Amino acid sequence: MLKKEQNDYITQTGPGTPMGNLFRCYWMPALLSEELPEPDCPPVRVKLLSERLIAFRDTEGRLGLIDEFCAHRGPSLWFGRNEECGLRCPYHGWKFDVTGQCVDVPSEPAESGYAKKIKLKSYPLIEKGGVLWTYMGDPEKQPPEPEFEFCTVPLNQTFSSKRLQECNWLQAMEGGIDSSHVSFLHRGDLNNDPLFKGAAGNKYNLGDMAPVFEVVESSGGLLIGARRNAEDDQYYWRITPWVMPCYTGVPPRGDHPLHGHFWVPIDDENCWAWSYDYHPTRALTDSEVAAMRDGKGVHVKYVPGTYIPLANKTNDYLMDRAAQKAGRTFSGVEGIGMQDASLQESMGPVCDRTRENLVGTDNGIIMARHRLMRAAKALADKGTQPPGVDVEHQKVRQAALLLKRDVQYKDGAKEALIAKKGVRQTSV
Amino acid sequence: MLSESERMTTAHEAGFRIKDPNSKPRAVAVIAIDKASAAIVDQISKEKWHGAHFFTSLSFSTDKSPAEGESQAMKAWLNDLAGRALNLVAEVEKSDFVVVITAAGEDARAVSVISDACAMFHKSLLGLVIPQDNTSEADIDHSLGHLRPHTRMLVVAHGIDYIEVMLTALRA
Repeated sequence: MLKKEQNDYITQTGPGTPMGNLFRCYWMPALLSEELPEPDCPPVRVKLLSERLIAFRDTEGRLGLIDEFCAHRGPSLWFGRNEECGLRCPYHGWKFDVTGQCVDVPSEPAESGYAKKIKLKSYPLIEKGGVLWTYMGDPEKQPPEPEFEFCTVPLNQTFSSKRLQECNWLQAMEGGIDSSHVSFLHRGDLNNDPLFKGAAGNKYNLGDMAPVFEVVESSGGLLIGARRNAEDDQYYWRITPWVMPCYTGVPPRGDHPLHGHFWVPIDDENCWAWSYDYHPTRALTDSEVAAMRDGKGVHVKYVPGTYIPLANKTNDYLMDRAAQKAGRTFSGVEGIGMQDASLQESMGPVCDRTRENLVGTDNGIIMARHRLMRAAKALADKGTQPPGVDVEHQKVRQAALLLKRDVQYKDGAKEALIAKKGVRQTSV
Repeated sequence: MLSESERMTTAHEAGFRIKDPNSKPRAVAVIAIDKASAAIVDQISKEKWHGAHFFTSLSFSTDKSPAEGESQAMKAWLNDLAGRALNLVAEVEKSDFVVVITAAGEDARAVSVISDACAMFHKSLLGLVIPQDNTSEADIDHSLGHLRPHTRMLVVAHGIDYIEVMLTALRA
């Protein structure tokens, strides 16, 4: 339960808000590389942290993320012509480069220098791991490039997708650190989804519906261990890392690729749910990539030509009551991603946490909220750099493993929780 | 035509949600199981709580004169902030769930007795390990090792403020 003012504090990420300022300390996924596939390709509208922006790749391949609206009379530069190292507004021909600098005002003599006086707000945009990342904070405090493992392995070992989720970022992200729901909501998929099935660990998930949790703070966020009973005096541990403010890793299954999410606010009532899959030591197989593109695992099928899920609120998520009744899916919605999203969107645009009734096993969520609010306050009061900005905090891995019951998971899984180049994940 | 899900997930529709309370106050027993955590519990108890009851120590006594043929029965007592000794089993029975707090590295073996009482009434037991200024990793491991077999949720909480946050979140 949160008080209304706390809920507002933690869910609002627009310019000038404490949580908005916190998000502006980090590199965040903004676009897939495929959205700006080549020089002078069409520009793409981007809305992040309640700011309207336009992204483009110029003639030289440079990436730009600038204010969406022309500085002259305010039309959207989405209509712009991306040509000759700049984006030209089709209304009166004003042209802007990737830094937002106006480089041409046709109605004024070029010698007047008038164009130099015009500059749109811009943010850096970099390409890493098939993702275009932006940093929207103070340029003088720009951190090193992100080092999450999924964006540092070779491109043939990683796959990312994104989907629009029509609710506040926090209720979406809280699903990512709440692993107790897996045994219910996703139980129909553990033995069927091609990116999940066949793992020995699945039987523990399905056999023990009441996991026991252990939450410890890590340098960048939290480690949330969920343990279930296993044979031979062992526990089956699934350990979920959360790196502030919005990165989560799903514990792996067998040799399937590792997957997880970023939850990036678009505005206070919408977010991008980013989903990644990667394997630390091998290329993804053709069948794995095909499954990912087909919306399996943590990915979704799309409305063609968009990043809007095919099953969405406009079609009641293609609810299948017969499948629900027969147990093929637990909720009647197909696919792990939309099983989560459908319930999270049903909470409303911004979940009213004054009415929730948390239980002890929700401590991961309670502590994540606490750390976010504490970090936002420390940033506001003292300018303290928040956890997760340091790239060392990002070099974590999710893990699933069997440990003897008297072994502490943070000791037994210590090496498994560190991302190491060329070292396979620890999984059951 | 809008789908039902589309119509019902707007901010406007959220305004029609029932405002009546959807839960009753919880009774929560918060128990310090060592001397160092007693001071923490004492400090937290000064905040305003709805249904949290705080206990700063756990002690044991035995029946002096067991009936012939019976073994000596052990009784566990909780001391509340007013200095009263209250029966552990009765207090657990009255609670909706129980929170035990231990300072890292301290002797936390008494948790097994509380765990037995919780098991008797099917109550959840949550454990909080609080590192102190000079706490080592080994101390934390030591405490986790004591609590792990008995708790449904175990948290290493850096700072007393987290205890308050957690109890508030759980409507204690």
